[in-house]
Amino acid sequence: MKKILVSTALLAGVLSYAGGFRVSLQGVKQLAMAHTSAHAEDASVAFFNPAGMSFIPSRLSIAVGGFAAGNKVTFQNTNTLQSTETDNPMGTPLYAAIAYRPIEKLSVGFSFSTPFGSTIEYPSDWEGKEMVQRLELKAFYFQPMISYKFNDWFAFGASYIYAKGDVKWDKAITQFGGELNLDSKASGHGYGFGFYFRPDPKLDVSVAYRSPVDMKAKKGTATFSFPTASIYPLLGLDASGKDSFSATLPLVEEYTIGLTYKITPKWLISADFNYHGWERYSKLTLDFGNAPVGNQPSDPTVSVSPKNFHNTKTFRLGTQYAFTDKIFGRLGAYYDESPYTDENFIPETPSYNTYVVTGGVGFKLKQFGVDVSGGYAMPQARDVKNANLGFYGQSTATAFYVGLGLSYNPF
Amino acid sequence: MKKIIISTIAISALLFTTSCENEFDTDVKDIVVSKGEADFTKYVSLGNSLTSGYRDGALYIDGQNESYPSMIAQQMKLVGGGDFRQPLMADNNGGLLLNVGVNVQIATTKLYIDSFIAGAPDIKNANNNVATTLTNTVLAGPFNNMGVPGAKVSHLLAPGYGNVSGVLAKTANPYFVRFASSPTTSVIADFKAQNPTFFSLWIGNNDALLYALAGADSSVETLTPPAQFAQYYNALIAEIATTNAKGVIANIPSVTSIPSLTTIPTNPLTSAVLGNGNIAAGEANIDNLNTNLYGPLNQILTAFGAGDRIKPLSKTAANPLLIKDESLPDLKVQITAAAAASGNPQLVALATYLGTTYGQARQAKAGDLVPLTTKSEIGKAEPTALAALSAKGVSYPFADKYILIPSEITEINTAIDAYNVTIKAAAASKGYAFVDANKKMNELGSQSGVSWDGVKYTAKFVTGGAFSLDGVHLTGRGYAIIANEFIKSINATYKSTLPWVDPNKYSGVKFP
Repeated sequence: MKKILVSTALLAGVLSYAGGFRVSLQGVKQLAMAHTSAHAEDASVAFFNPAGMSFIPSRLSIAVGGFAAGNKVTFQNTNTLQSTETDNPMGTPLYAAIAYRPIEKLSVGFSFSTPFGSTIEYPSDWEGKEMVQRLELKAFYFQPMISYKFNDWFAFGASYIYAKGDVKWDKAITQFGGELNLDSKASGHGYGFGFYFRPDPKLDVSVAYRSPVDMKAKKGTATFSFPTASIYPLLGLDASGKDSFSATLPLVEEYTIGLTYKITPKWLISADFNYHGWERYSKLTLDFGNAPVGNQPSDPTVSVSPKNFHNTKTFRLGTQYAFTDKIFGRLGAYYDESPYTDENFIPETPSYNTYVVTGGVGFKLKQFGVDVSGGYAMPQARDVKNANLGFYGQSTATAFYVGLGLSYNPF
Repeated sequence: MKKIIISTIAISALLFTTSCENEFDTDVKDIVVSKGEADFTKYVSLGNSLTSGYRDGALYIDGQNESYPSMIAQQMKLVGGGDFRQPLMADNNGGLLLNVGVNVQIATTKLYIDSFIAGAPDIKNANNNVATTLTNTVLAGPFNNMGVPGAKVSHLLAPGYGNVSGVLAKTANPYFVRFASSPTTSVIADFKAQNPTFFSLWIGNNDALLYALAGADSSVETLTPPAQFAQYYNALIAEIATTNAKGVIANIPSVTSIPSLTTIPTNPLTSAVLGNGNIAAGEANIDNLNTNLYGPLNQILTAFGAGDRIKPLSKTAANPLLIKDESLPDLKVQITAAAAASGNPQLVALATYLGTTYGQARQAKAGDLVPLTTKSEIGKAEPTALAALSAKGVSYPFADKYILIPSEITEINTAIDAYNVTIKAAAASKGYAFVDANKKMNELGSQSGVSWDGVKYTAKFVTGGAFSLDGVHLTGRGYAIIANEFIKSINATYKSTLPWVDPNKYSGVKFP
């Protein structure tokens, strides 16, 4: 019976990740189990659900970790037979969390994480250079949080999110034989809250919500570089070809329900369902200070690009087996939907329906924990049919992640 | 227990490898292109300026290298296509010299943007409008690109069209002179002599375009009657068909949506324009015009129920050009009589002149089209006019050749529609591939334009990217968009798989 249960459960996992520029790398231990959330062993739970802090066995817990994320995007145009591969630098998402329980019912904590970000770099003369040559997106979340444990089996927690980040976007303006670089810092505010239940010693249930954050870039610098400066005055630019711009980039909300069930004292399985509110990214509006390089008849300094993202779901399934009380093996798989259709494919944030397999091992040496994990993503090749941009072809990608995490639970 | 885990991992792994398609079904690096049922070994293109690679008001080397047939030929080379020779000009400025004992320049050099003045491009002729290409120098052919700037359909059939002695009399074409195999040959005869295996034909534009650019003034250029067009076109197709070459033919784009006819507004007369930059002078000019011309004419015309023809000028808004509309009832007699009876000594003295000059005058309005070439004529003195009332388009109505009125636009478009029926039928009857160039150019002319890899091309003058500085011919990029239409049609008809070209790789409008 158990055999069948396990087989079907894992198969379900296979059939069932977050797209766009969302990065699901906030816990090394969690990643090894498909980045599932209902794990209250150390402070790394803080990002996933502030209420989870109330169920961390030790009163003080510190968790830090980092990842190396490599990926490559391939685009091919079946009409012109051109093929392009990106040369993306290795991404290095980081996280750190601390949770402390001064009194039994109350926990306080702090989480630092990098939940959104990506750097995509195409060859600078690739066919889609007018759309993007290089895009670097970074967002850092600083989250102080608190959790209250009502009783043995239920806690509620909430956090405030301060988000800070930058955007650097290079693209060609081929009509003038030049380039445009958009560079801005941005910041925004949000919040999160969650419920953590342990109705039975064998079962953990995590229900969490993280609000959207509007990253407002108010003092962006748009630098135009053309072969001659004669065009600068025409575009309302200063002698160095600079203009200001403002924009808002939405970082989306996320709803998560997670379960962890201990089948035996040594063996547990976890499942997660995430719902991501990408619908908020319906368009990107760039408002330039002077340059009439937009596309709005009423105000030529405003450029509006349709994005038409839609909400997405992620299905995750992971498992952990304790070989001894010091060594743990972990496996997982998840399926992550792309937030847009083929008709809305954009090369600056390429996205695919993606299967990911994950795994890792953990070691516990008294109060120290060391975990390593890895993930291999299999983004599904897709057709590109963006009529608005006149961008047609096929695209696929490969990606892998490796992570190293440390935790410390002194008392 | 371990066994279970291992077995589930194995099943999962198997499932992944079978269900995942993270690779492309076909990698473009593995695609072998095919010529299908066509033979591209000897491709010869027939046509006019659009085929020759003419742009910026001239034929010059860079433009020729970015002609659409040259682009297509590059793709054909991938499947056995031969070299594509073009009768290249002597330099990159264009323009032509004709030796008639001495060298006379018969075509101007290419246009370029010298600078921007108050946001508007200041367009000049390259090399101070000094040409170096000598028409009389005949190049050793044959040439694969036989596009002849200025040619109408009938010209391709005409013997002697390459005879240098007929250039000044306009019985011959200076561009064809440069590569005709003999003074007596015709374009079609030189075409046939090459035994082409594949051809492209895009001709007929000038049968309507030249007339449109001349403001539909038939004393300057004529519109080929559709029946005559059909006769010539079918004769041309019959000649081509004797070669057994397979090929592709394109229809004619509507000529009234090109930047050359849509850029200059019908109401360019602001106080600044009328004062040559001096607003106060412009306002004084407006007062003067209203008192002595526009006002009295408005009063007289109103009395005859035609007050909407001419309204007094405004100092705060842009005012319309004054034009002559030959489709209007001529109120010559009425104006003369009214002026004579006005009691105003100035009007009385000019009564006959006013009637003659303004009998069919009206202000331009939406629906009229002002050719780009008319811009430089605005306010210039008309020599036949009374000196005080001689500013063309301001105090003297622009003659027919400067403006297209709605009835003329309809006449032209009706003719083009008829031409296109002939062209499509000709393609169908011979099984040639057919390109709806008209449809593609209309797309360019629409608000949304044509997008390619994030670059938006429209028919807007200078900034639209698709049209060169003459407002009639395309840029390298615009020609590439057309080349792709030819390639699509060739592939569809002859089951070939010629790859498309990337328009963004070609040159657009050059900025200073």
